[in-house]
Amino acid sequence: MKIRQAVWSCLLGLCFISHARAEDSAARVAGQVDQAILKELKAAKIEPAKLANDEDFLRRVSIDLAGAVPTAREVTLFGLNTDPAKRTKVIDQLLASDEYAANWARYWRDVILLRATNMRARLVNDPFLDWMTDALKQNRHWDKIATDLLTATGDVRENGKTALFFAHEGDANEVAGEVSRIFMGIQIQCANCHNHPWDRWKREQFHEIAAFFPRVTVRRTDPNNLGQWEVVSFDARTDRTNVRANIMANADGIFRFADRNRDGKLSKDEAENTPLSRLFDRILENGDKNKDGMISVAEFKEMPPPPEQPGRGNAEHFMPDLNNPASQGTKINPKFFLTSTHTVRDLDDMDRREWFAEELTSAKNEWFSKAIVNRIWGELTGQGFYMPIDDIGPDRKCSNPDALESLAKGFTEHGYDLKWLFRTIALTQTYQRQVQARVLSEDTPAFASATPTRLRGDQLYGSLIKVLGITEPANQGPRFGQAAGANRFGPRNPREAFNAVFGFDPSTPQDDITGNVPQALFLMNSPQVASQVRAEGNTRLADLLKKYSDDNDAFNELYLMVLAREPSAKELEICRSYVKQINNRREAFEDLMWSLLNSSEFLSKR
Amino acid sequence: MTIAQHDHVQLLGSSVSRRSFLYQVAATACAAGTLSLRDLVTLEAAELKKQGKHLVVLWMAGGPSQFECFDPKTGTDSGGETKSIKTSVSGIQIAEGWDVTAKTMQDIALIRSMTNKEGSHPRATYQLHTGYAPTGSVKHPAFGCSLAKELANPDFDLPAVVSVGPTQGSAFLGVNFEPFVVDQPGSLPQNTRVVTDTDRYRRRLGVLNQLEDEFASRGGQQVVENHRQLYAKTAKMVTSSNLKAFQIDDEPQALKDRYGNSDFGRGCMLARRLVETGVTFVEVSMRGRMGNWDTHQDNFDRTRGLVADVDPGFGTLVSDLKDRGLLEKTVVLWIGEFGRTPKINPRGGRDHYPRVFNAAIAGGGIKGGQVIGASSKDGSDIVDNPVTPNDLFCTVCQALSVDAAKENMSPLGRPMKIVDGGTPVKKLFG
Repeated sequence: MKIRQAVWSCLLGLCFISHARAEDSAARVAGQVDQAILKELKAAKIEPAKLANDEDFLRRVSIDLAGAVPTAREVTLFGLNTDPAKRTKVIDQLLASDEYAANWARYWRDVILLRATNMRARLVNDPFLDWMTDALKQNRHWDKIATDLLTATGDVRENGKTALFFAHEGDANEVAGEVSRIFMGIQIQCANCHNHPWDRWKREQFHEIAAFFPRVTVRRTDPNNLGQWEVVSFDARTDRTNVRANIMANADGIFRFADRNRDGKLSKDEAENTPLSRLFDRILENGDKNKDGMISVAEFKEMPPPPEQPGRGNAEHFMPDLNNPASQGTKINPKFFLTSTHTVRDLDDMDRREWFAEELTSAKNEWFSKAIVNRIWGELTGQGFYMPIDDIGPDRKCSNPDALESLAKGFTEHGYDLKWLFRTIALTQTYQRQVQARVLSEDTPAFASATPTRLRGDQLYGSLIKVLGITEPANQGPRFGQAAGANRFGPRNPREAFNAVFGFDPSTPQDDITGNVPQALFLMNSPQVASQVRAEGNTRLADLLKKYSDDNDAFNELYLMVLAREPSAKELEICRSYVKQINNRREAFEDLMWSLLNSSEFLSKR
Repeated sequence: MTIAQHDHVQLLGSSVSRRSFLYQVAATACAAGTLSLRDLVTLEAAELKKQGKHLVVLWMAGGPSQFECFDPKTGTDSGGETKSIKTSVSGIQIAEGWDVTAKTMQDIALIRSMTNKEGSHPRATYQLHTGYAPTGSVKHPAFGCSLAKELANPDFDLPAVVSVGPTQGSAFLGVNFEPFVVDQPGSLPQNTRVVTDTDRYRRRLGVLNQLEDEFASRGGQQVVENHRQLYAKTAKMVTSSNLKAFQIDDEPQALKDRYGNSDFGRGCMLARRLVETGVTFVEVSMRGRMGNWDTHQDNFDRTRGLVADVDPGFGTLVSDLKDRGLLEKTVVLWIGEFGRTPKINPRGGRDHYPRVFNAAIAGGGIKGGQVIGASSKDGSDIVDNPVTPNDLFCTVCQALSVDAAKENMSPLGRPMKIVDGGTPVKKLFG
């Protein structure tokens, strides 16, 4: 009994120590990152921005980690809290929340599925979200998540891990490009067709990655049901290439055996009960050059190879001949371009995929760690070490490589622990600085301040319903693909309809995201927003005006509610004079709330 | 402020109006004593020539088969079962099903020798929209958006660029040239009806503008600047009487029938209405009942259905623009990502084939009723006058009096030509 207790306390102690050490390491690495950045700024004689105030920090970190603005109450309480460690504590609380998992699962859904090459990829939308949310909630480490996605098989409606393959219909070239981009930040897909003009990657190297995936097969589980798909491994027994190769190797023998009347040609009758019977119509269609309805040995041997069908399972990967696109091209064996030096032949599908996942997530592959560090850093601070965030690599310019190195090294040492990464970045002073306009110059050191970025569709939707006090409907509508017609992949619920207007590919550089007319129209005129910007009935604004009879109090509350901060003296002045000018309290407040919801600040992370 | 930043601000800032541009050129040049009165008049004439020019792109998403469109090879293995029909121009035959277009052939020039290297949908879509191959480092503006920057009247109250269906964006050219995407051609776009009376709407915009100062002063100046532009533009649009151009209800039924009862047909009719109203660039994407042109399977059945939607839309658009005297100022360009293989695959389909494909072009001074280039007998190669995408874009620039070599400054200070390389197809101009 005593021993057992001792063991338990020992174990608990260990847990405690390792937890404390992890915390220390996050703060330690955050300090290294800040130092590297300050060093560069100092050398360039640039004064870093001050740390953001509590209001701005809380709004920023809530949006980043949990996907929505904080409530007015949370802002006020956080401001009043005198605990010096309150920022660290709120980071930990947010990382432990369910919203963290939901927010980042949606982010990854957009990264993977907004690039999908076929609308039907939507079928895997919900299963992916379910799986990814669960994985993030359990803090499944990034290498495990990558491996899950790369080795998935099964029905796409049940197994969300199939998303990456299903998004690209299992096409080895598309998958190779996306896998490199998402997990390594390397845009090697440009080398699909030509050697990259300014990268070191060669065309062969791209196709060597693709050669890990030719046997991935995406097919209907039920040929009669358009909405049922599965990702499976290529089955060698039905390997068309093998069957063909066997027949071709024995062409003379098969011919002698089948050509009963010895006229040197096979008719349909003669082909009956031979290995060719099932295929004979196809053989005639493709091989009967002189159109005599029969196949000669010569015609048979000259038949063109069957076309490669991307995503339908092929034994091997072929690199197309650019000068002769109709030919089969060169057979390529799988090889991981960064770490392995040897080529392994004749592995089955799962062996290939598992081997790829192993090479990809190996600590020897620095880009696996750097890609996600760069991505998350860019998403949180508004500017990646490399820009765009998914175009990195040895031939790209990196702002402050030392800072990136510290983060990537720490992340790798912590076994690719995502929460450690979020925590470390959020703890840096760099993350916590005030926003300033982005400096558009290649020579100025980066990260002197935070830069304002636009909320993603889901973050904006989450914030909007929180501000307006609307509960999101639990019912997500019918499954994708169930409704008939062209709209079977259209939005099924308010969130998706909102995302159709406000969503964007999260890998897009912030400079390209400037908003568009339909978004402005939605916030200005949509019945959804208009019905809530009313000072009567059951709305937040009506409540607020009832509760706060003093206009100044009401202005404060309105600002806290919509922008998660108190108004400045100047803003109070504008509000006061507006109310006076309109001379109708309800109408004036409706106009002010409309203005705040339509402001660029509401749409931005500050 | 660095130079690059300065340029960026200028780019995103409202376009300098033509008048002030002329004034600036004149003022600087006169001050330097380099510009004579005659130069000034010539400059003005060149500017005037651009006024009121338009481009309509009919985007054949998926990559249309040249054999089933404008380069049929009847009686050959490559041609398959597709027959050819005569057109209004003797000697020019096109694939069956294109009856309306055939009757308009005197106004349309066919290019049978388009050639390119890009065989993947997203990459070719990007290239055929921007004139550049996609790269990770910079996003190029769509060609039509670059043209809109040169041609659009900055005081016009509808968007300069409208797209029926998804398209490429204006990238660093900014919100003024960002395509306004219409999902349902023919009806008023969503949320364009102001929910309050117009006076109150203007008051709201006024107080919003005032309140934006705070964020601008706290590091958000660029964001606020973009937002102000977007809101000014949107407000101008929703209060404009031109908005009714989006609704096609009041068009005569007979004309609606000619365009065809399909989304594509309605899109073409909307394109004509928008051009008539003053929109500079309209793109109509093919999204038919039969899906798109990516006919890897059942090529012949599927193209029949696709042609049935596209033909009345395309042919009627050209003749309708001509009837209204708009064709002289409007280029209509029919094109997709690439062509399709001469070989018919075992699934009765045709696969991607960038080496040989078709384009059709009309209006803007293009001489119709002619064929540019030719493909070999089996359609696998070009035997005469190859035309690259950038040659085609240069041709469109010439037809619209835009300098294809004009450079815009990208955000990182790299100048970028509207079209990089390429030569206009001279024969198209008679």
